[in-house]
Amino acid sequence: MRSVVRIMTLALNTVREAVRNRILYTLVFFAILLIGTGVLLSTLSYVERERILEDVGLAAIRLFGAAIAIFVGIGLIHNEVDRRTIYTILSKPLSRTEFLLGKYFGLLATLWLQLIIMSGAFAVCSLLTNAPLTSAHAAAFVLIGMELALLVSLATLFSAFTTPMLASLFTVGLYLIGHLTRNLQDLGQRSEVAAVRELTIILHRVLPDLESFNLTTHAVHSLAVAASDVWFPLIYGVGYCVLVLCLASVIVERRDFR
Amino acid sequence: MSAERGSAAEVVRVENLAKDFRVGLRARRQRVLEGISFSVRDREIFGFVGPNGAGKTTTLKILMGLIFASAGHATIVGHDVRETEFRRHVGFLPENPYFYDYLTGREILQFYGRLCGLSSARANERVKTLLDWVGLAHAADLRLRTYSKGMLQRIGLAQALVHDPRVVFLDEPMSGLDPIGRKEIRDLILRLREEGKTVFMNTHILTDVEMLCDRVAIIVKGQIRYEGTTDQFLEAGKRETDIVFSSLPPEMASRLEERGAELRGVLGRLEIRVAEKDVTDVLREALAAGAEVVSVAPHRASLESIFLSAVGKAQQRGDSR
Repeated sequence: MRSVVRIMTLALNTVREAVRNRILYTLVFFAILLIGTGVLLSTLSYVERERILEDVGLAAIRLFGAAIAIFVGIGLIHNEVDRRTIYTILSKPLSRTEFLLGKYFGLLATLWLQLIIMSGAFAVCSLLTNAPLTSAHAAAFVLIGMELALLVSLATLFSAFTTPMLASLFTVGLYLIGHLTRNLQDLGQRSEVAAVRELTIILHRVLPDLESFNLTTHAVHSLAVAASDVWFPLIYGVGYCVLVLCLASVIVERRDFR
Repeated sequence: MSAERGSAAEVVRVENLAKDFRVGLRARRQRVLEGISFSVRDREIFGFVGPNGAGKTTTLKILMGLIFASAGHATIVGHDVRETEFRRHVGFLPENPYFYDYLTGREILQFYGRLCGLSSARANERVKTLLDWVGLAHAADLRLRTYSKGMLQRIGLAQALVHDPRVVFLDEPMSGLDPIGRKEIRDLILRLREEGKTVFMNTHILTDVEMLCDRVAIIVKGQIRYEGTTDQFLEAGKRETDIVFSSLPPEMASRLEERGAELRGVLGRLEIRVAEKDVTDVLREALAAGAEVVSVAPHRASLESIFLSAVGKAQQRGDSR
């Protein structure tokens, strides 16, 4: 129970840091601006106005969410060491894993808060332009939230042992590959070389499959979303996050904070 | 080394601590601490003294569990420093501390209090007491980015005490402070001892050691060169005596010079510095020759000169290897 209180204390402080940090406000402002731009773009078209609005809006939410997750996440542990704030925190009776989890959940809570704000802006724009809002949109936002959780866990992992520059390269790399592993596997299956086929299957299974969190098509075309389309990615995402955070914890528990 | 090690009232015990860092592209091992052993007793102010780069902060980081020893063992209040448990009894103020500057003084202390497992009500109570204790009640609701260096050092001391620990570790607590700030921190450290806390202090400011510390350990190039009471340490320099004469016959002065005594004229008087063992003979001879003695005073070398001499010897040993 005490452990939960300590993790909560660190998480709340991380949220407070974000709330008092104006840079994040700026990013959210630009995301909302981009969603608004979708309204403008849709007025320039005679056909599929709603589709343009929703495509641009959802893409803005996904991209800005991912950008904030990666670029704040990569400094999550490193900045604490660099600014030496970690010295006084780890001298208190809490474990390094509690510290890691506190920072992780704090950033995640911040990102989800921003996702709610951006989703709200998207809903307002949709209502103003009479674009449909369906349960597929809600499912899409939930899975964007899960994707952000996974991205933050990856950024936290890299932040635990390397510099922000390398951590950003690794995380952005995994983000891009994570959206391509399905295509990579499909390509691999067309290969006549068995080793290539096997390799692409292994890559698809080991690397995060971020496309499984993408319900944009369902939302834009108001397609029905089966429960399994949400639950399976959620279980997959939570499992992947737990594994990544366990790995980050092993690293943080062993490393020297010089 | 102190012969008193092993007493029952030890709160910190360090045995044969060593630390290797990996340096360069090939991650070559470089030993920065070697065979560090010392102990700190209950309710004393212990000075861990050494020049920059001697290994003071590295030792302290091992004690705080921030880095891990390559060899050896350290316990605080009976707990291994690799455990989390011992930190319930320990407060730590790092050198030039940095805190979340978007928080106010009150918020940062509440934050640390909650991390230490204090209930919200207990944390609030401790925060109020500590803000008064360090004299920052007036600045409690100002953000830390508006604090001066001295104020940050005081809030740092308050956060180290938020859970009422038995032992307080301070890394260069007077570093970068003006004379007023240094006096404020010095007074707070003395109050800690009055309140029954044990204080471990890393420092290279020797006047602070002389004024505050009951015992010291001297570390040079990653090795302990001395451990004992500050008084004993200072005694090591009390080997000469200054004798001041209002008049001294010239033949006597030449004879003393021939014996290697150091003569200086000061305000019409003659001062000589002689080895402690020669004082009786010199006085007897001088008085018999008709000299008039004004004063006889043991010459106490400053901690600084003794320290520099210890560092010099260590460096010579290092060079001759």
